[in-house]
Amino acid sequence: MGRVGFTTTIPVEVLLAAGQEPVDLNNLFIGANHPQQMADQAEEAGYPRTTCGWIKGLYTAALTTEIDSVIAVMHGDCSNTQALMETLELQGMDMIPFAFPYDRDPQGLRASLYKLMDRFGVSEAEVEREKKRLDEIRRLCWIWDDLTWKSDQVSSFENHLKLVSTSDFEGNPDRFAVEMDKLIMEARQRQPESGKVRLAYIGVPPIFTDLYQVLESMGARVVFNEVQRQFSMPYQTDNMVDQYICYTYPYGAFARLADIKAQVEQRQVQGIIHYTQTFCYRQIEDLIFRQKLGLPLLTLEGDKPGKVDARSRLRLEAFINMLG
Amino acid sequence: MIGIDLGSRQVKLIQMQKGTVSRREMRDTIGFYRQYGRMHDGQLQIDLEEAGWSGDEVIATGYGKMAVSITGARQIPEIQAHALGAVFQSQRQSFTLVDIGGQDSKVILVCDGKVADFITNDRCAASSGRYLENMAAVLDISLEELSRYDQDPAEINATCAIFGETELVARIVEGCALPQLAAGVNYALYHRLAPLLKRMDSELLVLSGGVALNKALTDILARETGRQVLRLPDPQYNGAIGCCVFGGI
Repeated sequence: MGRVGFTTTIPVEVLLAAGQEPVDLNNLFIGANHPQQMADQAEEAGYPRTTCGWIKGLYTAALTTEIDSVIAVMHGDCSNTQALMETLELQGMDMIPFAFPYDRDPQGLRASLYKLMDRFGVSEAEVEREKKRLDEIRRLCWIWDDLTWKSDQVSSFENHLKLVSTSDFEGNPDRFAVEMDKLIMEARQRQPESGKVRLAYIGVPPIFTDLYQVLESMGARVVFNEVQRQFSMPYQTDNMVDQYICYTYPYGAFARLADIKAQVEQRQVQGIIHYTQTFCYRQIEDLIFRQKLGLPLLTLEGDKPGKVDARSRLRLEAFINMLG
Repeated sequence: MIGIDLGSRQVKLIQMQKGTVSRREMRDTIGFYRQYGRMHDGQLQIDLEEAGWSGDEVIATGYGKMAVSITGARQIPEIQAHALGAVFQSQRQSFTLVDIGGQDSKVILVCDGKVADFITNDRCAASSGRYLENMAAVLDISLEELSRYDQDPAEINATCAIFGETELVARIVEGCALPQLAAGVNYALYHRLAPLLKRMDSELLVLSGGVALNKALTDILARETGRQVLRLPDPQYNGAIGCCVFGGI
């Protein structure tokens, strides 16, 4: 069994059908013992300081782990991925480009999907069979999400951690499912954490390692983790194309807006934290969310991995205080 | 009631009795921490009694709040302290508060006496008092002198407290006169604030923080925004006053 890394959520069913172990390089990077050292190593290799911390971390993660190839999402994630792919190729890494179609066109997505299936030598039927299997596991994640916002029994961080892990199911979907079953049973016994300020977190997952703990210590709860939830494919779909068309993250701010609007209303969110990475084009999209969401919105910027800096803490504290 | 604003550059202490300030003191932050701070359980603890401030209830706020604790003090968020101080000092209920301190700027929308929204500048010291201090030093003039000029500004785009110097030197080499350079520096600060002001717009701009003492900036703000501009009577102590207001004076 080989191991295949990737730069953001991809149709993981293809890898599983091919008997490959999926490795989300983001999770590998941020879950490492010293993620900042990984970003530093990329800078030492020549990555500019003024580049996204995630991209730098992904570069080192890809080069320092045992993987056979890397799927780079060229469209629908990060504008720096092309250079990431090229610099990894320079180091001899086997790179596989993948692209979500900008216009959310099912035909375009089907073409990308088929190309990926060809590359791994798997059939549509095999991939659809994997999807059915993962549907059951993803359903556990939806329950986990419900336990977060409906019954306030799962913490902000636990919600983030398990949903963000659905990009690669921690390398082993069956093991992941067993653990989720156990966690759900345990969480259902807990007393609800009610009475806190209800927040939504939108944007890419944070590079800060203690953001959720900081927010909870300030009397808030994140009851909606937008992109992390998207990773868990929270829709009833019949096939791969439908599923990855429903998935909002690769299709721009407006595709994401519809989902965010519906969820913040349903989950009775009081305020929104829009996280953007320093040097990321998504900082421009902030103005769209600010104009369109109609709820108090705090833009939070993160650069390097590590604890939330004093200045951001101050802003978070003031924001929660304002909402409370 | 004692209010303390632990600023990034200055610690401001205020004592109020029956709604009036009975005592005030401003101390250099680093010196203050060094002299009265002790590490306790990984946190810097300040002994106010040793600093000569005691015998009253203490409310604290400011940049240092997360990392610093003051023995016996209650701590409140900075945005809240500034808004409370500004409502108290201006006697107005709805306005846009522009607080420009030593290392950051905050724009706070206050409606009916409460914080409705706020925004802060970038993470660096651009568009802050530190920028003005550094530029005044490059021009070899005092901050008072710098704050006299707001006409015919030289074009200065950088507001970085460090790299601003490079740009200023380039303009000096090009032969710009001192009044133009100084006005350029003041305008650079305004341009940095303008997008924040637009997002927190209201009829009245209330200025606090040390930079509120810069007359040129006050004039530029009034001219460029068309809004009424009010400088608080005690701009630098506004956060500390807000602490006292919170505590109930």
